[in-house]
Amino acid sequence: MRLDDIPLYIVDLAKRLGATDAAAKLTESRRVMIRFSNNEVTVSKVFLESSIDVFVMIEKHRAATTISALSARNIKKSVENLVKIAKSTPPADIYAPLPQGPFTYNSELIKAPKISLNPDRLTLYVESAVKHALEKGAKRVAGTLDAHRSRITLATSGDVYASQEKSGIEISVRAFVSELATGHAVSVAGKIEDFSPEEAGRIAGEIAKAASDSKPGEPGRYMALLGPMVFADIVSQVGSLSSAFLVDAGQSFLVDKIGSEVASEKFTLIDDPTLAGSFGARAFDDEGVPTRRNIIVEKGVLKTYLHNSITAKKFSVETTGNAGIIVPYPWNLIVEPGNKSPEDLLLEIDDGIYVTNDWYLRYQNYRTGDFSTIPRDGMFRVKNGEIVESIRELRISDNMLRILRNIVDLSRLRLWVRWWEVEVPTLAPYALISELNFTKSTV
Amino acid sequence: MEDIAKFVVDKAQERGAKYAEARLQIDLRESIIVKNGVLEASVFEENRGLGIRVLVDGALGFASINSFRKNNVENALKHAIKLAKSTLRVMRQKISMGEGELGYGKVEVKPRVSFGSVDLESRVNLLKEADEQALHVASIVSVKAPSRMMTLDTWITEKIVLTSDGANIYSVTPRAALFALITVFHPQKGTAQRYFNLGETGGWEVVEKWDLPKIFHNETYSLSRILIEAVKPPEGEMDVVLGPEVVGIVSHESCGHPSEADRILGREAAQAGETFLKPDSIGLRVGSPHVNVVDDPTLKGSFGFYLYDDEGVKARRRTLIKEGIVNEFLHNRETASVFGVESNGSSRSVAYNREPIIRMANTFFLPGDYTEEEIFEDIKDGLYIKSFMEWNIDDRRFNQRYVGLEAYRIENGELKNMVKNPVLEITTTGLWSSVDAASKKLEFQAAYCGKGDPIQGIPVWTGGPHIRLRKVRVGGAHI
Repeated sequence: MRLDDIPLYIVDLAKRLGATDAAAKLTESRRVMIRFSNNEVTVSKVFLESSIDVFVMIEKHRAATTISALSARNIKKSVENLVKIAKSTPPADIYAPLPQGPFTYNSELIKAPKISLNPDRLTLYVESAVKHALEKGAKRVAGTLDAHRSRITLATSGDVYASQEKSGIEISVRAFVSELATGHAVSVAGKIEDFSPEEAGRIAGEIAKAASDSKPGEPGRYMALLGPMVFADIVSQVGSLSSAFLVDAGQSFLVDKIGSEVASEKFTLIDDPTLAGSFGARAFDDEGVPTRRNIIVEKGVLKTYLHNSITAKKFSVETTGNAGIIVPYPWNLIVEPGNKSPEDLLLEIDDGIYVTNDWYLRYQNYRTGDFSTIPRDGMFRVKNGEIVESIRELRISDNMLRILRNIVDLSRLRLWVRWWEVEVPTLAPYALISELNFTKSTV
Repeated sequence: MEDIAKFVVDKAQERGAKYAEARLQIDLRESIIVKNGVLEASVFEENRGLGIRVLVDGALGFASINSFRKNNVENALKHAIKLAKSTLRVMRQKISMGEGELGYGKVEVKPRVSFGSVDLESRVNLLKEADEQALHVASIVSVKAPSRMMTLDTWITEKIVLTSDGANIYSVTPRAALFALITVFHPQKGTAQRYFNLGETGGWEVVEKWDLPKIFHNETYSLSRILIEAVKPPEGEMDVVLGPEVVGIVSHESCGHPSEADRILGREAAQAGETFLKPDSIGLRVGSPHVNVVDDPTLKGSFGFYLYDDEGVKARRRTLIKEGIVNEFLHNRETASVFGVESNGSSRSVAYNREPIIRMANTFFLPGDYTEEEIFEDIKDGLYIKSFMEWNIDDRRFNQRYVGLEAYRIENGELKNMVKNPVLEITTTGLWSSVDAASKKLEFQAAYCGKGDPIQGIPVWTGGPHIRLRKVRVGGAHI
């Protein structure tokens, strides 16, 4: 049996065994990662993998599995076992049949741009990023280059049988002038023309250089300019916690907020996997539903949660094309731009702070949105519209909803962000936030 | 399995690898998710494949593949070698594998009650019973528990680690883990949330021992009281007692992570960060003489249990801080070579397709000689922080914040009213230096520690006794 034929075979077998619904997703992927630190490569990795995710329902009885040993015998045994388990599984509260196709998919999203995984070429990108950071004054540079190509073939009992390619390349660069003077930047692209390791290296180096001679910052509430890396972290929280599954679990500050003002009118957040050539582009979700452009927050008002067919039925709405079989996910988050340049936003600060990056975001209470996160890399004191000094050792300790409502303005310039801290690719602008609360260690 | 591993190691050497390592790993996992009393999903996963590491001309290459066919495996090996060679021009220092006590043999943790003997319905019913307890106790305390989510995972990890210099370890390790998130609500008080993890090595007997209905009863009761009773905490300098849950996370974040030798060398600088400790920090005083923190993978039944690491090196207890002084770092064979020491068996990987890197196992503050009564008795006016929700620490592992969940005022040695979300925002040396007592009783909590790229969430225990901090500044959340 050809690999491509396996999903259809599985769906057919599951139905013959008694499943009312079945979906089988074959993922064939090839990924190369080069990690570097202290200006040199520390390890290079290649991942060559094929696996199949299978989901079956016998009305309200559900079970899922991942099969990584793709022999015909093992696949048959695994599917038989899965249906047997589904039959013995206690029922869920609702039954939502898998969406009925066949569907028509955007042909631009079915094919992905070619990304080379040639080791020599990828190593050149690493060299280039390191070189540009060093040229801007960095003493040492660390990071990760990650390139991938994959193909997903999906079959469902809803007459879906389709394939889509995915590819992407990203680099995360952290530059050090000293232990305390660091800068971080990324380049994230779905096609090679949009990929710029040089730019990531240059920006990381510039921030690190500017962050030299830092002083401990003073806690308090400030007008703050958040760079795209920081704002992407905040925004990806909004996107991820708009998953209806997490809303239903109480793991979201967006519970019961549909139709409510959750942010300043300056803020519009869209999940748009239909943007061909972008990192998070995709033609269909894990139920075979064509993806679509979903406006999550429009001019500050929460418009929708993200759904698969099961959560959609539970919330009495239509699926938004964001399945995850169990948990719906955002694919490709985009913040609508503002009208000003980052420099103009800085000019609006009389007495404030500019934060270039953050990490380690943790909630005290997901339901209320109380959280803290740690600015890292360059952080600067701003007075009368100008950066006056480099500061350190502050923590953003605030509330998600308050931050969103305190958005004063956004920049026209946006950058794609994805790295260790920000899992969902996010196109984020600079954001001017009023009254942002900063705290610090006291002993 | 051993045939394939041997094939890889032999082929790698034929192709010029100075060091080769093959790790075949199969994780068989069953998970159930119960949300608000309803089974959302049953998930069964077989994650099996081969992780290969090669050292070629001093460059380190890794490949993973989930086919055991010899031609596919050889192809993956070729890729790893080619990739490593391509990066040679961006290397100044050649990597080498240091010494370590390499193992040969079998480590099998045998469950008393096998996972296969417990059917799905029994598992679901157990979680539903726990969920009902949460609802029941909330109603008694006159709050609502509108959201409850729990995930129960059981899995068996079977693996073989074979290296070109003689390690050959076969191991079978069953584990069970539970994640829970509980939300309680009161119309006038708002919401409070608690999440927690349970995790141990062993079979279903572990889950039986937990007594989940009782745990959910107690956790929901405590959370409801926090919502209803907790008042604004006092602010200022005072004595603080930290409970084992908080001491565990502090030991993990402020001792375990800073002691990882790969961070010290900057290898994680762009992701999980570095550390305030330097290669010459052994012997540096970072805390009071009451501070003793160890990491020990060999604790039977622990979530982070192993006897040989993923480089085949024998595991042992590592004393990281001894009487307030930095005593030892966590090493794999790569960093051991740089530091001129032997590996202390800290190399771990969460799955076949992840590179083994330096990880903690079970990191805990060693017990002292105080009774719990003695810890509290001479505090005139202070705070007891028993549990926490929010925490974070900077990427040098120096500035940290712990926001208490269950916390009490201490007056004249006695626990008084509950206080809401006291904040301890403090430096690592500030915290460790203020410790003046530790109690005798040790407790552990399960957690997943995140590190590496791609990130690896690896099972660990964190733990400790009650410890007393003298004169530290405590604040309120102010948000």
